[in-house]
Amino acid sequence: MAKERITHSVSVAGPMAVHTVDGVIRRVRPIVLTEEDTKGWVIKARGKEYTPQRKTTMSLLGYTEKDKTYSYDRIKYPMIREDFVETPDGQNRNTQNRGKSGYRRASWDEALSLVVREIKRLHETYGKETIFACTSSHHTWGLAGYKISLFKRFFSMMGYTRVIDNPDSWEGFHWGAPHTYGYYWRLGGPEPFDMLEEAMQNVETMIMWSTDPDTTRGGYSAQESALWRWWMKEMGIQFIYVDPFNNFSSVKHADKWIGPRMGTDSAILEAIAYVWITEGTYDKEYIAKHGHRFDEWAQHILGLGVDGTAKTPKWAEEISGVKAADIKAIARRWASTVTTGGSGMRGGFGGACRTIGGCDYARLIVSLLAMQGMGKTGYNMWTGACGAPMNYNFWFGGYSDPLSSIANFPICDKPAINDVQQVLYRPNLPDAILDGHYEWYGEGFCGGGLDFEFTRHIYPAPGCSKCHCFWRYGGSFIGTMLDTNKWVAMYQSPELEFVINQDIFFTPETRHADVILPACSQLERVDIGEVGNSGNGGYCSHSQTGNSWQVIVFQDKAIEPLWDSRSDFWIFSQVAARLGWGEAFTEGRSEEDWAKRFWQFSDLPKHMDWESFKKKGYFIVPVSFKEENRDPKTGLFENWDRYPGFKWFASEEACTTPNHKIFQEEGLMGTLTGKWEFVSESMLYWAPDDEIRTPIAHYKDAWEGHKSLNADKYPYGMISPHPRFDYHTHYQQHATWLWEIPQNRKIINGNPYLICRINPKVAEEKGIKEGDVVKLFNDRAEALCVAHITRRVNPETIHVYTSSGIYNPVEPGKYGAVEKGGSINVLTPGRLMGDYIPAMVPNSCNIDVELAEADPNPGQGWEYMLEGVDRQQNATQRPMNTSFEADIIFGEKEAK
Amino acid sequence: MRPGIAVNAARCMACYACFMACKDEHCGWGSALTAPQPRMGQYWMNIVEWERGDSERRIKTATVPTPCSHCENPACMAAGKDGAVYKREDGVVIIDPEKAKGQKQIVDACPIGAIYWNEELQLAQKCTMCAELMDDPDYPGKEPRCVEACPNQALVYGDLDDPESEVSKLIAANKVTPLAGLEGMKTQVVHLNVPSAFLAGTVYMPEEEEEVCIGAKVVITCEECGCTYETVTNWAGDWEFEDLPKGKSWTVEISYPGYKSVKYTGERTDKDHYVAMTYLEKE
Repeated sequence: MAKERITHSVSVAGPMAVHTVDGVIRRVRPIVLTEEDTKGWVIKARGKEYTPQRKTTMSLLGYTEKDKTYSYDRIKYPMIREDFVETPDGQNRNTQNRGKSGYRRASWDEALSLVVREIKRLHETYGKETIFACTSSHHTWGLAGYKISLFKRFFSMMGYTRVIDNPDSWEGFHWGAPHTYGYYWRLGGPEPFDMLEEAMQNVETMIMWSTDPDTTRGGYSAQESALWRWWMKEMGIQFIYVDPFNNFSSVKHADKWIGPRMGTDSAILEAIAYVWITEGTYDKEYIAKHGHRFDEWAQHILGLGVDGTAKTPKWAEEISGVKAADIKAIARRWASTVTTGGSGMRGGFGGACRTIGGCDYARLIVSLLAMQGMGKTGYNMWTGACGAPMNYNFWFGGYSDPLSSIANFPICDKPAINDVQQVLYRPNLPDAILDGHYEWYGEGFCGGGLDFEFTRHIYPAPGCSKCHCFWRYGGSFIGTMLDTNKWVAMYQSPELEFVINQDIFFTPETRHADVILPACSQLERVDIGEVGNSGNGGYCSHSQTGNSWQVIVFQDKAIEPLWDSRSDFWIFSQVAARLGWGEAFTEGRSEEDWAKRFWQFSDLPKHMDWESFKKKGYFIVPVSFKEENRDPKTGLFENWDRYPGFKWFASEEACTTPNHKIFQEEGLMGTLTGKWEFVSESMLYWAPDDEIRTPIAHYKDAWEGHKSLNADKYPYGMISPHPRFDYHTHYQQHATWLWEIPQNRKIINGNPYLICRINPKVAEEKGIKEGDVVKLFNDRAEALCVAHITRRVNPETIHVYTSSGIYNPVEPGKYGAVEKGGSINVLTPGRLMGDYIPAMVPNSCNIDVELAEADPNPGQGWEYMLEGVDRQQNATQRPMNTSFEADIIFGEKEAK
Repeated sequence: MRPGIAVNAARCMACYACFMACKDEHCGWGSALTAPQPRMGQYWMNIVEWERGDSERRIKTATVPTPCSHCENPACMAAGKDGAVYKREDGVVIIDPEKAKGQKQIVDACPIGAIYWNEELQLAQKCTMCAELMDDPDYPGKEPRCVEACPNQALVYGDLDDPESEVSKLIAANKVTPLAGLEGMKTQVVHLNVPSAFLAGTVYMPEEEEEVCIGAKVVITCEECGCTYETVTNWAGDWEFEDLPKGKSWTVEISYPGYKSVKYTGERTDKDHYVAMTYLEKE
């Protein structure tokens, strides 16, 4: 074997060992633990012992890292749009051609000089606030390079209009659930701590509502938790799955699957409550003690409220299409056995909360968990991801920890403060730019308090200029944001005088820029990070419990930056230097120096010095530091410091869970009354006139749904959950191996069409056969997909995964062109959930479907590009820092 | 040492980690045992998947990782000329990357479709069980790439000759289900728990009651051999018989005290079948 060098890294797929040969990536493997590494935990449940395998895992995405790194669509050189004209007043720059035009190669000096000249011009003409910038989530992993770190440091020092994110993956839990149970500081999610052991020892029934944990893996976790769910399944726990799509976990684990019509979950939840109230099968003592205005809510359920409708199972059957008898059976199983459950990957996520009624749904599901005494042993909110044993006495920062950013003290000496107050809001960024005026309520992430949901924003902010320059960094929102064609329209507006795109890959947004700055991947630079750690004090804290092992990785540089790409740190440093504050930006530190700061300000130095950590590449945190916690026979840890989530509440003990608030120590929840609010006092206080998010959560016919005006014309509900074969938009376009998975894509005429799932009954009516190209359409747009005929959806539902990653309109750069890359968000509504609720609602989308022809044109030249890559790889075995004959530039084909 | 892989289909969730790890290992990189796999188009670790069930009421999927089985008497070896395909001492079946050039008949010989044709190299190619890595004392891993990548212990690697090895114990404790075309063949990739067919249904009380029937007795009888199986409906009113012999006709009898019993005849297990939502009637 040739001499191989092994370095380590981590991504949203898990930790990895990267083998290189002569500076080329050979393979990417999981970390196999050695004798040196700590022993694991053991959970003793129902007469058996369960301990994780002595290796880490990766999702399939991790194994595409090599394919992705050398991808055909890497940005190889700095580039400038070929018809961009650097006019002195920022006008007449052919902005209408963004998305269509080709690019010419530039030197770094030319590109950076242009960027700096434009920054100076824009600052002088409009002020700092005219530049706005935003980043995708997790297109790379690592504390130094992450968006709340490096990106924040650069832009805060320069001053800019922030684009605030919406909680796009868990809208209803963020904007709804806190009004029933608090937890706004966890952005609406529950406490998963130590829930794995709790469930394995006690639970008889798992309620898996709108969740597909084998697919979503607890968010940023590796694939380890899949094994936990097999353990639970094999010990006889009954799994009930509720999802319009009989999803990939459900189809393997479900003892019972029900598939409600899109957006009608709330009706079923109300009907379950009806059964419990009429049969007296809820925890009356618990509710009497901890519930607030439960009786009024119960009256509403029984039909004695203002609407006068009893929420019977029959009523729910008419709305949801799920048989009343089946609803009753589930209600009784839930009430009569020890039941844990929830929604989505962390208990408080899921597709149903991303519908128009998502807030009602989230509030109802937590209300029902309360009715069974949430927090009593075995009764909790958890869906089988996160919640593994963890060492909470060991501190290493996660990405959302304020202490874990190179923009903040103590990592840097002098914190970076943004002095621009103006903000924009991501879901409606195009509307704000195109209309020049936009108003909305709420901070994007409202972890600071319930009142944060009701702050008022106006763009442009009083006294501020409008935004005329967009600096887009990493990943693509064309694909994830709704009515996604709006983004094309925004990019083509002359309002945007200058657009910079800094990224690793030629994403759908990259090809709308004026200047493109090629960043290298994280395998080509140094960083540091813990697997799955979203923060130990920040939002959704301790999500690393989604893994069986707590792994901190020195993300060493495996290979040199490919082609002319450079690290993001280098790019920002260069711009800062040319603007005259380079020293202040770097504080004299290299990338490795910054990475070392995170080691230094963690508990890691107590266990491993810097050089050893660098050499070994990772550290696995023992679940306990106490020898007496080991099982004497096996050496495995049978004890650790346990902080089971929410048990403090039911057992009325002082709360000690990680990331808790002071008032929890007094037994209070985060609502205004400190109790479970069945009638929300916070809604009555701040927005009593909100028609979508009413003080009593209940099912309402939606403005887009099976009863809405356009349902006659577009009779099918399209659900588009988080993808199984991608992470946001970060893999599909780049890692072509993914196109070979039959459940993901099918290549026809060189174009990788995304799979949509259609019931056989609909297929027969429409004359659609397995593998046919079909057109999904509504008034917003048309998208071509390939039909997979399956009974895993009911006839009223069509399923397509969201955030395709590939956006490939038949006519590039044309607003509303037929989309064949699978960016299904061309169809979803751009309208926000409600007047007070700035949430997006991808799973409220009415469409029709019909048979279509495949586009005979390979479009933007997939085959051509792949051919180019193959030639290059076969010829040289390694990409060189020189041009090769076929520069792969989108638009070149058209230019010829 | 006779290396082998047990494929426990009951644990596979088609996460495709094995599929990707295999591509990561072999695409673009060859060894003495194999030429490089092309970037796209070959699936040495293929996942065969089918949807089980003919009603939305009961749907499952079977997902079966299907690499080369490394047969005892490989059909591909018989088809190959000039020693193009050989079986190593440890039983691993290898296609010689030089000698097999131009021999497309090797691809066609495989009963399970696990051999692929490389158009560019005019060469038959397939899984090597990562023997090139396992042979290499410098390689740090201990398992073939697919096995190492599996999060669920659905793929287990080890010595088939050692009855105490994990793989041997797993095979001994589970139902061996050879792939179609390999019945009776000794193989070094051993498939376990590949499902056959189920019969299922749901029993309800009379329709106007809107209730499932819990505890109804369900008896099925094979109309050909007379064998019977019995169960009762669960909390959801559901009944199911899993892994029935395929291609048989069955009589299904449902009874519940105080109600007329219901009988279905000629229910086939050619494929997975949901018999009915049965509504009981009072006697």
